[in-house]
Amino acid sequence: MLPLVSLTLFLPLAGAVLILCLPKPTARTVHGIAIVSAALTLVGALAMWLQGVSGEGFSQVEELEWMPAIGAAYRVGVDGISLPLVLLSAVLFLVALIYASSLRDRPRAYVALVLLLETTAIGTFTALDGILFYVFFEVSLVSMYFMIAGWGHEDRQRAALMFFIYTLLGSLPLLLAILGLYLGSPDPTFDMRAWIAHPPLEGAAAMWALIAMLITFAVKIPAVPLHTWLPAAHVQAPTVGSVILAGIMLKFGTYGLVRFALQMTPDAFREAGIVVLFFGVVSAIYGAFAALAQTDLKRLVAYTSVNHMGYVIVGVAAAALTLDPAVRATALDGAVLQMFSHGLVTGALFFLVGMIQERAQTREMSEFGGLLKTVPLLGWLFVLAAFASLGLPGLAHFPAEFQIFLATLGTTPIAVIVILGIAIIAGTFLKALRETFLGEPRERWNKMPDLSPREILAVAPLLVLTVATGVAPSWVLDIIHRTTSVLVL
Amino acid sequence: MGRDLALLIPEIAVLLTAVGALIAEMLRRPRISLAVAVIGLLVATGLTLRLLGTDTTVFGGSFRIDALSIWAKLILLPATVLSMLLARVDVRGSAREGTVYSLLIFATLGALVLAGAGDTMFLVLGTLLTGLATFALVAYPDTDPATEAAMKFFVFASVTTSIMIFGLSYWFGASGSTLIADLPGMDTMPMAVILGFVAVVVGLGYKASLVPFHFWAPDAYEGGPLSIAAYLSVVPKVGALFALTQVVRDLPPETGWTAVIAGLAVLSMTYGYLAALVQDNVIRLLAYSSIAQSGYFLLGIVAVGSSELALPSIILFAAAYAAMNLGAFAVAAATGRTLNDFDGLGRARPIMGIAMVIFLLSLVGIPPLAGFVGKFMLFAAAIDVQFTWLAIIAIVNSVLSLAVYLRIVVPMYRTAEKTTISPGTWPGIVVMITFAATLIIGLAAQIFLAGLAT
Repeated sequence: MLPLVSLTLFLPLAGAVLILCLPKPTARTVHGIAIVSAALTLVGALAMWLQGVSGEGFSQVEELEWMPAIGAAYRVGVDGISLPLVLLSAVLFLVALIYASSLRDRPRAYVALVLLLETTAIGTFTALDGILFYVFFEVSLVSMYFMIAGWGHEDRQRAALMFFIYTLLGSLPLLLAILGLYLGSPDPTFDMRAWIAHPPLEGAAAMWALIAMLITFAVKIPAVPLHTWLPAAHVQAPTVGSVILAGIMLKFGTYGLVRFALQMTPDAFREAGIVVLFFGVVSAIYGAFAALAQTDLKRLVAYTSVNHMGYVIVGVAAAALTLDPAVRATALDGAVLQMFSHGLVTGALFFLVGMIQERAQTREMSEFGGLLKTVPLLGWLFVLAAFASLGLPGLAHFPAEFQIFLATLGTTPIAVIVILGIAIIAGTFLKALRETFLGEPRERWNKMPDLSPREILAVAPLLVLTVATGVAPSWVLDIIHRTTSVLVL
Repeated sequence: MGRDLALLIPEIAVLLTAVGALIAEMLRRPRISLAVAVIGLLVATGLTLRLLGTDTTVFGGSFRIDALSIWAKLILLPATVLSMLLARVDVRGSAREGTVYSLLIFATLGALVLAGAGDTMFLVLGTLLTGLATFALVAYPDTDPATEAAMKFFVFASVTTSIMIFGLSYWFGASGSTLIADLPGMDTMPMAVILGFVAVVVGLGYKASLVPFHFWAPDAYEGGPLSIAAYLSVVPKVGALFALTQVVRDLPPETGWTAVIAGLAVLSMTYGYLAALVQDNVIRLLAYSSIAQSGYFLLGIVAVGSSELALPSIILFAAAYAAMNLGAFAVAAATGRTLNDFDGLGRARPIMGIAMVIFLLSLVGIPPLAGFVGKFMLFAAAIDVQFTWLAIIAIVNSVLSLAVYLRIVVPMYRTAEKTTISPGTWPGIVVMITFAATLIIGLAAQIFLAGLAT
């Protein structure tokens, strides 16, 4: 029996090492190796998907001794919450590497960083050991820092530094919480399964641990008011960096919110649920309004992420507050599906914005107009992605947000005001579409080329999956539901 | 007697090596002196391995053969070898080259005496032995800054050591014995206990460059040869911190020593990083960073006696610290002393650049590097004895430290038009060895933890 999870996890890293070891490879070889290893990773993720999950607990668990003296081990595995995110990572990194294959500025280091990020992303979602999780969680930071600092836009140094310090400051409380859980366990261990099965902390200690975790994940998600690093980092990051940051790394926060905060300190979370819910609602609505006020396309997409992640927080909080297992399953189904959909849709949007910027060297919406006529393919794909993002039925976000609202209505009806966010986001995108793509084409953009095959290959898979998830969400939901329906808190 | 001497074979080997290196120097054979020194220390390291797991004392309890003193040898002897290889570049061809190697070994012997001290007199002996050797080493270049730095170092050391001896006389008076193990016997005189303890902290704190006894450190590091700075930041410091650990192991907790240590930890970490933040000289920056890192050790020392995690965390972090700090100094030795010298390093010499990034991130405590495992254990130890607030301050300081170390990393990846001087072979080799150690200690911490569990 192949250790599928470990293979999938370390394939990208092996690719990165191979690339770094080759003496003076050409850019073509570098990109070739990267795409092949990402493709093999996707094959691995698909194989994991076919194996599926078994409902209660974790499946496909692989375990190796690491530091038995302190109860830490290499433990990986998946359940219905993490498996979709693993698949999402594999898909998104493959298309990101396809998109990046035209890069000629130090491709070796760049591609190695992307592959390293892929390993850390899959590692974060599959780790079942507290230390291992933290290791992956932090290494992702370092690689993203170097990516923004090395290949970003004008003001990249400052943005990269802000990103690094902000998120490091954010993630250290998690370290405290992990230590707390470790020292609180009757038989000290870093096994996350044990922490989930028998939450080791209670009372005030659990509340402190929860607060520490909430700070960490709120920075990562990002939730208002800890979101200020996000627009800065996105605006300066290279396109692939933005896609990965929004598509994958924000999910570290929401995934952690479910895996750590909800599952390991359930009682404290229930007590604090209303506060978390409040922050979720504020994030969603604030993100929507902030997006509406942007004139820069990339910032706009960045703020819609704050809005969409706000819904995830609302969903998780609703799951904590409710006492009805059916409602809880609905809320978590919605939250996890929202993470998956957001990765696909926002990934596509950032790619498209990147393509526009590459052609025009600007992202100011007022500079454009009538792009639908000059670059029809790019334009229509953007329209499709934008509609998906604003939650149109039949596209990926709709089933997710629908379930979140349904569950919220069942627990705390007042929180349904969050639905306002949808209307504002709709307005935001319609305004953006009107300014950028509709109207009379401007002369200066007449020579703008439409999408190249490479770019189509990068975006199309994401949009195909977006439609597939929207039309028949059951292929993802089945897996998610198998775990959420038996979740005991 | 015979048993006691057998247990001391590594120390004896170190002493003989120092003498051997000195004899070779007298014969004007500096290369042979270096060879003797390196081989002798490696042999001593090898001889230590068979002692692993021993926990006993020799000569009536005055010297301890325990995890601390054994691991001190395993960490500090290789670190001394690496410092010597760096020193070779600094002193090559100068008059009395071999004395440098000999003095380095004497200083290391002092640090080993400190790390195994079971008697207050050994604290004094160790401090003096390391001190005398290192004053000479700092003054070695015979330039104005070096002489000034050595002078400052000397005056500072004399005062603090005298204070320590003065304080120890209280302990002797109160307990009637110079053995550290007899300290609990004097709980009838709490004032004497705490007075003596504060004096010991002054004496060892200067050696470990804890704030507020750190003033000599940045000047000595900057004034002397770079290799000596690297050495000072690792060997005497770890020796002194291990000595402090030996002392507090037997102190009754109700004397309130934990509060003193915790206070020093906060001061050292915070002041060290704040001061490092405004340095333009890489050596001074690393000097302040090493002051702050000493503060982290204290998180483990606070837990000594009450938590099982304390000793493993201190030893593990010492190994990690020796590797990453020596590595960072070695890169500086191959690059230059100011931040401007680091412009474009990462592009001109990618491997050196990656190594430096790894060292600095490890100093911050980013996983999965050595510094992370060490700090992680230290935090766990502190939290285990209800010093959560101290762990939180340490964590906040880790963020501050990121800003400090990124000040070196950021210029490294700037595009710079300049021809880089090609480094000597030795710094390159030292960088590679410490680089490997930083990764291995991080990923295979089990080796250390398993050795400590017994």
